[in-house]
Amino acid sequence: MASYRTRLSQDLDRWIAAGLVPAASREAMLAGVEEPRRVDAATALAVVGALLAGAAVIAFVAANWDGLARIVRFGLILAAFAATAGGGAWAAWKQRPVLTNSLLALAALIYAGAIGLSGQIFDIAGHPQAALRGAGLAAFVLALAGRSSGAAIVALALIGLGDMAGGGPGAPRDLWRWEAAAAPAGMALAWFWRSRPLAHAAGLAIVIAWLTLPGERDSWRMLLTAVVFGLLAGLARWRRDEPVARDLLGWLIVGALAAFALAGAEAGELSLVHRGALLLLSAGVVGWGRHDRHDLLTAVGVIGMLGTVSLILFDLGLGLMAAAGVFAVCALTALGVGLALRRSAPP
Amino acid sequence: MRRPLLILVAAGVLAAALIGLVVREDRARTAGTEVLLAMQPLDPRSLLSGHYVIVDIVHPVPGACPLSGRGRDGWIALSPRGRTHEVTGNGATREAAARKGRLAVRGAAYCVSGGGPQEIVQLRLRGVDRFHADQDEAQSIEKALDASRTGPAQVFAIVSVGADGQARLKGLEVNGRRTELSWF
Repeated sequence: MASYRTRLSQDLDRWIAAGLVPAASREAMLAGVEEPRRVDAATALAVVGALLAGAAVIAFVAANWDGLARIVRFGLILAAFAATAGGGAWAAWKQRPVLTNSLLALAALIYAGAIGLSGQIFDIAGHPQAALRGAGLAAFVLALAGRSSGAAIVALALIGLGDMAGGGPGAPRDLWRWEAAAAPAGMALAWFWRSRPLAHAAGLAIVIAWLTLPGERDSWRMLLTAVVFGLLAGLARWRRDEPVARDLLGWLIVGALAAFALAGAEAGELSLVHRGALLLLSAGVVGWGRHDRHDLLTAVGVIGMLGTVSLILFDLGLGLMAAAGVFAVCALTALGVGLALRRSAPP
Repeated sequence: MRRPLLILVAAGVLAAALIGLVVREDRARTAGTEVLLAMQPLDPRSLLSGHYVIVDIVHPVPGACPLSGRGRDGWIALSPRGRTHEVTGNGATREAAARKGRLAVRGAAYCVSGGGPQEIVQLRLRGVDRFHADQDEAQSIEKALDASRTGPAQVFAIVSVGADGQARLKGLEVNGRRTELSWF
């Protein structure tokens, strides 16, 4: 893909030819744009060499792991953690945010591994859930200290895995999902740090966590969850000029539609009303997505509509011919509405 | 300058927490009451998490099953019999279990048929799961466990029962030779 400078150079030639920009300004304008950094062969070889050296060290340690004294093994894993975290601190001091982010994410992963390996080295039996959640909290600490979205994503993943691991035999029944609180915290960090990857990770986490909370999944609780998702989506839409608002909005709408769909799982006599409402909501999301040019929203709405239609067919116990008829009616309706909208649009 | 310092402080706190956890476990292991518990062979070993031996504690029951309720996680009473300890009862609370034996430890126990007229007690101690060893050691332990299928027990778990009633594995005794978990 051509760099911005190359594209600007081509544009400038066109603009100068059209008389929009004076020719004398061409060089000055191009000089103001930095050339993208190119990785030369020496740098590439250095990176490859460093990676291979790291692999060699890891293989050597793994081959001799059993023969090392416990204190040495423990020291090695602590040293690995200290080296990556120290590297992250150095990168922060040198104001290299990408390197800081990467090293702190790696440090968070190494710490999680260190917890597990310490248990193995010293035969400390523990619950995987406690270890994963502890590692997740540690990753959050690193994320906050270093303003690292990578470490925050690692934290969300570890806490989510901890929720799924369960407490083990004899542990009290888990009444809460840590992810239910961690995911909104992740969303807040994504907002303030303007991190799109973290926004996606937190969005996915909040949908899974809030829809799978332990306890009775009754209709009213799901409806309330849908309303909360909807309110948060409204907030994201209101602040849509923020870089991560669009990403969060997409996931919040996913959560709202999914929660509303689950609310009608045992709707009984009201199931047809629920399906109709879900269909309207999904269609509304499609329209919203097209209006805002938000592809994820459009896709979510379309999937919602397809799912709702399938649900209606399942409820009515219709055969293939009836299903064909229903789909044909829906298709004609969608085409008709689209045509009407096109005709009523201003020229 | 603040952010690099914050990172270093956070990393230091986390490393100290991990070291503290290991030191605390070691101190609790050293300070607890040591008991020897007979082990039985149990397959398999995992290749992914290195070489280890599953600590499966069983012993025959001389008379009726000493347990009330089957497989409930709670407190187990242990009493000395020769140089080892055996299960002599259980209870929902520490005090209830302590009335039935010398020591009360957190865990679960089951009476199961041993294939003959005698029942056996299987003991699951919370905090005692597996013993990691290098390949040679793991294989010699496995050999000793196999030999104890047809003869007297040759492998014993050395367990430390702390003041909190929590069991911690100190090591194994294999054919009279002790292998203890230490810093080295």
